[in-house]
Amino acid sequence: MPRLVSKYFGELDYSTEAAFQFPEGIPAFEDQTAFAFLDQPQTHPLVFMQSLGNPGLCFITVPVFVADPAYRPDLSPEDLALLGLSPGPPPQIGADILCLTLVTVSEHADPTVNLASPIVLNLRNRKGVQAIQPSAGYSVRHPLLAQEDLVPCS
Amino acid sequence: MLVIRRRAGEGFLIGPDIEIAVLDVSPTRVKIGILAPGALPIVRKEVLPTRQENLAASRNTPPHTIAWLSRKLSQCGAG
Repeated sequence: MPRLVSKYFGELDYSTEAAFQFPEGIPAFEDQTAFAFLDQPQTHPLVFMQSLGNPGLCFITVPVFVADPAYRPDLSPEDLALLGLSPGPPPQIGADILCLTLVTVSEHADPTVNLASPIVLNLRNRKGVQAIQPSAGYSVRHPLLAQEDLVPCS
Repeated sequence: MLVIRRRAGEGFLIGPDIEIAVLDVSPTRVKIGILAPGALPIVRKEVLPTRQENLAASRNTPPHTIAWLSRKLSQCGAG
């Protein structure tokens, strides 16, 4: 099992199943093309998106349904190509792809999630992309906790 | 805003170093070619908010805040 140095948990063993290639990085971090997604029991349901190239770079994410149970990503032809998916029937969350959203935590504001640009992972070839949805009306700062309608964990 | 009309195959210059070419035009999209110095960042406009939010999201989060957030989110049961 490969080992990584993580920002929040020190040295960790991780499964190669948890590692994904981001051919174009993500905006502002274009040179970071490999991330491991770490789901630690003590911090569930948070998923940590740890850069494999830079131990000091780690994003906090949650599965998108935690923020919005009805969420469906709208993947552009460019994003589908980067993920190696064909344009046909939409890929199924959980079976074909995983969809996560980055959490922004600041000292003076409630945590928010970026629903306008979800992280989409292709489970079949372990490729990932941040899929920007300019026209879907989602916010880059959607409140994560403000509403009382948190999804019951199943 | 300066507005100019161009056809596919035409272009224009911005200063001495930047050339913009209109390569192809369809009813809903235009294909644009850009010749510019490599050091000049060129980003799609819709990427900017995501870029800024990614920078904000990459900042350090204290362990007690991570613990609090995880607790809040798993209050609904399974944890």
